Amino acid sequence: MIGEVIVLFGAVLTLLSAIGVVRFPDALSRMHALTKASTVGFGLIAIGACLNMTNANDITSVLLAAGLQLLTLPVAATLIAHSTYWAHRIPVRIDGGDELRQAADAGRLGRRTLRRNRPTTHDGPDQESSPS
Amino acid sequence: MIGATYLVLAAAFVCFAFRLVRGPTLADRVIGIDGMLMVGLGLIVVQAEDTGRGAFLQVAVMLTLVGFIGTAVVARFIEGQGE
Repeated sequence: MIGEVIVLFGAVLTLLSAIGVVRFPDALSRMHALTKASTVGFGLIAIGACLNMTNANDITSVLLAAGLQLLTLPVAATLIAHSTYWAHRIPVRIDGGDELRQAADAGRLGRRTLRRNRPTTHDGPDQESSPS
Repeated sequence: MIGATYLVLAAAFVCFAFRLVRGPTLADRVIGIDGMLMVGLGLIVVQAEDTGRGAFLQVAVMLTLVGFIGTAVVARFIEGQGE
């Protein structure tokens, strides 16, 4: 019984992240909604299913899948976010300080990202402080 | 309870499919694919819990690895797209 409740809660979290993916206006914020809610959602589904299973083989398979998802999903989200930021045709909106751009200007990133200078369409504080 | 879980996951699948079809940029489509993969994983696990047969759970393990590799490759593709 408690396992089914936990599984339902994880499914509801996944649905919330799907609604966020549909409703949010921007690629980066959509990725935020997907990654944050889906890791927890699938983790809760796996834990709730483990509480109802009896076969040890099934339980280890589910826990392995959940652990792999927990390891790989933040890495994949970071890769997509970096490439979305540095891609030229995708508009992103950044509120507050743009720390990735500051790091790139200070030369703290690799050579590969420094090579592409993004034409700044976002409204950061570095744009407002230097009027033309 | 299990039926409600199936319904909720199906609604999430429809939302992700909407973003996959509609998404203006390639990054949005990748997000939609990733979410659909996640919902598929959840459906496999819920089905294994429902029927008591864990024959498809190895598919779930492989699906996590394949999804990560696909997302990483498409991320490199997006990065080269702007040149």
